[in-house]
Amino acid sequence: MRHGSEQMRLPSKDELFELIVESSTDFAIFTIDPTGIVTSWNVGAERLFGYSEDEMLGACGDVIFTPEDRAAAASENERAVALAQGRALDERWHQRKDGSRFWGSGLLMPLKKNASGFVKIARDRSEQHRAEEHLRENEERFRLLATSIPQLVFLTRPNGDRTWGSPQWIAFTGLSLDESLGFGWLEAVHPDDRPATQTSWERALETGEYYVEHRIRRQHDGDYRWYQTRAKPLDRASPLTNDWVGTMTDIHELRGVQDRQHVLMAELQHRTRNVLAVVQAIASQTIRSSPSLEAFSTEFASRLRALSRVQSLLARAEEHAVNLHTLVEAELAAHGDGGMHSGKIKISGPRVELPAAAAQALGLALHELATNAVKYGALAQPQGRLAVAWDIETGRPTPRVTLEWLETGVAMSAPGTPVRKGYGSQLIERALPYQLGAKTKLEFGPEGVRCAIKVPVPNRPETRHV
Amino acid sequence: MSEPTQPNIKGRRLLIVEDDYLIAADLAGSLEDLGVKVIGPAGSVEDALDLVESDGGQLDGAVLDVNLRDQRVYPVAQALAERGIPFVFTTGYDAVAIPEAYASTPRCEKPVDKLQLARWLSEAGSQK
Repeated sequence: MRHGSEQMRLPSKDELFELIVESSTDFAIFTIDPTGIVTSWNVGAERLFGYSEDEMLGACGDVIFTPEDRAAAASENERAVALAQGRALDERWHQRKDGSRFWGSGLLMPLKKNASGFVKIARDRSEQHRAEEHLRENEERFRLLATSIPQLVFLTRPNGDRTWGSPQWIAFTGLSLDESLGFGWLEAVHPDDRPATQTSWERALETGEYYVEHRIRRQHDGDYRWYQTRAKPLDRASPLTNDWVGTMTDIHELRGVQDRQHVLMAELQHRTRNVLAVVQAIASQTIRSSPSLEAFSTEFASRLRALSRVQSLLARAEEHAVNLHTLVEAELAAHGDGGMHSGKIKISGPRVELPAAAAQALGLALHELATNAVKYGALAQPQGRLAVAWDIETGRPTPRVTLEWLETGVAMSAPGTPVRKGYGSQLIERALPYQLGAKTKLEFGPEGVRCAIKVPVPNRPETRHV
Repeated sequence: MSEPTQPNIKGRRLLIVEDDYLIAADLAGSLEDLGVKVIGPAGSVEDALDLVESDGGQLDGAVLDVNLRDQRVYPVAQALAERGIPFVFTTGYDAVAIPEAYASTPRCEKPVDKLQLARWLSEAGSQK
């Protein structure tokens, strides 16, 4: 509301315009006639384009355009648009008097009153333009990286609400981008893993990092595979308001290896404890049958070596099975090769792979037989001969190995034989049947020891499950 | 620290379930030395269950090896528990591998401390 009593002089519109134009040093403001000839040129224009008012008045204003834009008639087009629409916005490279360029944004408007030309307001936007370019390049780099690495990449709000998923995610899960947005992506997560997947977001807000291991459904076969999913805020300073970027890495094989490792560790522990228990049992059994500490020491050490031979055969064996021929040979060789090369010993039989449990029990039994033979039997006497032969008996639910240990040419009157009988015969006549379901027969005949052992052996070496 | 009491399990009827003959025979021998009447040993779940059923009423306790080749001994443990017969486990495993239901069952890790085992059997028997 204006009061007539106030005799304040208001500036005329022309005056006001002039003041504004002259004081606007950051804005280039100039006018041109309908053909583009400059009719006014302010200080801002002088600063921005490098041409003085004197140089420009009466000259063609198109010099501020780049040669390429001039050739493409950019200035004429701009004037046509301004006339048709009342204004023409313009973001482009401009050229200064010295030839250097800057990114300018301008507005061209027709001078309405007498329609005798246009006014143009322009300013230097190079800094902003560079920043925008930089951002675009960064985004481009991010997309390139996010779409070319094997990981599945996504952008998300800080609560798990997804805003983008990489093509790898779409290809792996078969969920389209639209289907994955929001919480649609949960559809690809194993139902059992969804609670952990979601509660991990609560923890992520506290720690600033999202982490979960969960199963993701693979589209082409419907299998679930283990993935490790991590996400971090793009801007650490404001994790609650900014997007987070996440990666999902396939750790399925790794988890498989870890699981197998746990199984193997448990198996190893079990075996070790069992071997120690066997050692304990051998020790106390040997104590029971030893007349002196000296006798115990010799016997115990010898049995321990037999056990350790089987263990090292098992450790070297594939599939945890031991070749019967190797086992027999190792046991006899351990007692000196006296017989092996002189024709005293004959070993024959088809290829047989013994499961671990059978190998251990049989190895200890063979040890007792061999020790006995070396001390009192076929390997202790010049005329003695030893034949170890076996065959495979099929046609039963479980095939059996029938092994015969046959000593000949032994004078059985040799003293001491019964001493060995105790522990060795216990192993053969009781341990093998108890542990392996074997049928055994041990005889001390007129020509020497004869021992028949029939052990059921599964076709394939058993693989023990822990 | 009080002197650990010498376990008195003389005359008890104890079942041994253990698939390794050497270990079973050794354990049986040691328990027999303490005056125990050993039932078994049994090397499989089936054999052990047979012994529990035929001797069930008179068993005073049992020593169970958790792992019997391809089997676990838990069916035997359950049969014993149903009859109120106390038992202890022998095992090559860490505690984590034992099911929750048997978390409070005494456990001798292999190789077995026979004196400790006998003490447990003695205590378990006296609570029967």
